[in-house]
Amino acid sequence: MGQLSLKNVIKTFGKFEVVKGVNLDVGEGEFVVFVGPSGCGKSTLLRMIAGLEHTTGGDIVIDGKRVNDLPPVRRGIAMVFQSYALYPHMTVFENIAFPLRVEGAPAQVISEKVEAAAKILHLESRLQQKPGMLSGGQRQRVAIGRAIVRAPEIFLFDEPLSNLDAALRADMRIELTKLHKQLGATMIYVTHDQIEAMTMADRIVVLNAGYIAQVGAPLELYHKPQNLFVAGFIGNPRMNFLPAICTGVSDAGVEVEVMGQRLSLPVAPRPGIGGASLTLGIRPEHIAPGTGEAVVRVIPSVVEHLGQQTIGYAAVPGREDSFCFVLPGTRAIEDDKPFDAGFAAADCHLFDADGQAFERRVDMTTLSVPVGG
Amino acid sequence: MALFRDENTPMIDRYRWWEVAGIYAGIFAFLFFLLAPFLEGFLVSLRPLSQLFTSPYRFIPENGSFEAYSGVFERLPNFWRFVFNSFLISTAVTVAVLLLVVPAAYAFARFSFRGMAPVLGAFLAVSMFSGAVLLIPLFRLMRTLGLLNTYWAMIIPGVAFLIPSAIWLLRTYMMRIPVELNEAAYMDGASQFYTFRRVILPIASPGIVVVAIMTFIGAYSQQFVFALTFNSKTEYMPLPIGLFAFFGKQEVVWNQLMAAAFMGIAPAVIIIFFLQRYLVGGLTAGAVK
Ligand SMILES: Nc1ncnc2c1ncn2[C@@H]1O[C@H](COP(=O)(O)OP(=O)(O)OP(=O)(O)O)[C@@H](O)[C@H]1O
Ligand SMILES: [Mg+2]
Repeated sequence: MGQLSLKNVIKTFGKFEVVKGVNLDVGEGEFVVFVGPSGCGKSTLLRMIAGLEHTTGGDIVIDGKRVNDLPPVRRGIAMVFQSYALYPHMTVFENIAFPLRVEGAPAQVISEKVEAAAKILHLESRLQQKPGMLSGGQRQRVAIGRAIVRAPEIFLFDEPLSNLDAALRADMRIELTKLHKQLGATMIYVTHDQIEAMTMADRIVVLNAGYIAQVGAPLELYHKPQNLFVAGFIGNPRMNFLPAICTGVSDAGVEVEVMGQRLSLPVAPRPGIGGASLTLGIRPEHIAPGTGEAVVRVIPSVVEHLGQQTIGYAAVPGREDSFCFVLPGTRAIEDDKPFDAGFAAADCHLFDADGQAFERRVDMTTLSVPVGG
Repeated sequence: MALFRDENTPMIDRYRWWEVAGIYAGIFAFLFFLLAPFLEGFLVSLRPLSQLFTSPYRFIPENGSFEAYSGVFERLPNFWRFVFNSFLISTAVTVAVLLLVVPAAYAFARFSFRGMAPVLGAFLAVSMFSGAVLLIPLFRLMRTLGLLNTYWAMIIPGVAFLIPSAIWLLRTYMMRIPVELNEAAYMDGASQFYTFRRVILPIASPGIVVVAIMTFIGAYSQQFVFALTFNSKTEYMPLPIGLFAFFGKQEVVWNQLMAAAFMGIAPAVIIIFFLQRYLVGGLTAGAVK
């Protein structure tokens, strides 16, 4: 129970197409995170799943049943709004009890369920207060409480933590992950925050302008982005892109010339790419000072010393976005002094002129979190 | 704005002594201008009739008394009846307006439907006509419906003329209630009506109280025109018409007139003070953000 499928889902507002054909299967108990730039249609997609927004085209199927025309309750879905949407005139107890009151549940059942929810969310001592007296994190927990009393099979969250400060967000993130384990329900979660996406998701759905750019486990998106968009979107600071020319194809991979140096990249070759102009991607955190199979000399204009990391930004001739490198620890690097950025061919990503990635030959089992003991 | 400062007064609320003096002088001048007629009316009610036309005119009455107040009841044995009528009419108007306007304002605030803008515009246009302009058509309407010389003749036009401004006022208030609350209630399975009753109405209650006060005052002051034209029965007369009894053929009994006016207004003022306690702000605190 709690299995969701989107089949070529489309949403248009008037003439304006916002969601342009989304296909997605979400398994029971899965935690799926939608990410994407602002305005790409995440909230719209979520609201269609919730039943708040009419679906212009395609089917939304929950547990094998087409639910396009059912109201939210009949879909077995609960949603937590970004803005909490608490009933300000009711106490926390009544807020959490609201869905049960609507159902007409007996008072005994209501107080049991509300107390159970309050216990999970550590709100026991707040039950008689009004939302106006609570902190942001507590309000968010009340909103979650209102969602869990109905015991829905699918939870929808629209940027639930974006109004909270960084510390509280980290706490709530952990609590939500715990909650997911405890309830075992399917959760679909929209966020802007990369850390939330990477840490909480079983799978991440990257949306771009109404399309799904890629679906995959967090580390899969990080190590094997299928296109330039995902490569640039996942990872912070974002991946560096350098222009490259294909000079040849071998069994070992694709040979390219980048900034006057030759590299043999271990990626799946495609026929007929000799001489094509490609894009090479290298993540800032894969750059080491001075050494490497390729070395690019850059002059950082800004260097940030974070203690844990040293981050530099440099202009690259002929490219608008700056070249960024992240070095572990505190390094003696000064701005406006030349820096030799070295990197290994194995860490590089390669994209064709359409922005599609050449599949990297990396062993995902060595790159993902080890399973079992 | 805090004029009296203690050590906790924020900087933005601190004034120099001459600023404070200026502010008080301004408040005093304004209030005096506003309240002087009432003050004089009250002083008039305190003095004997013979003293009213002495010259030079004296503001402060000599040997003032409350005699005129008891005199009201001699000249006007029906006085309380008139007050009751005034109240009955205004209360009925207020109740009717609220019953009609609260759902209507909600609909105008939350739903968008074809013809909404013209209807709202028409409401504004209607309220630009004063009742007096429409007296003749209204009279014919009342006569056709057989409502002349009943309470209805004073209640129905009152309701009609007070609805537009009430709708505009309450609609604005309701539009400020976040839509997410409706959506959340919908997600929780509540019907439109349930949401309206359990979520929107309680949050809108300060707005509803404001509309109730405005409507009550409006009905109180507006009933004169309708009562004068549509009713000739003494037992249905509201207070403003009843006060005509003090206008004699030769002279006007000013002191009793004023006394009656003050006694007539007093209950309304008391009710409004009572309603004001429900005008609490910040009811949406904690709803969103
Ligand atoms: N009711 C509406 N009418 C018309 N256009 C809309 C409506 N709702 C959303 N849109 C448009 O659809 C697009 C996607 O909006 P949506 O709210 O889904 O974005 P989002 O991905 O959630 O963005 P954000 O990350 O900023 O929340 C936007 O360009 C927005 O202008
Ligand atoms: Mg959004």
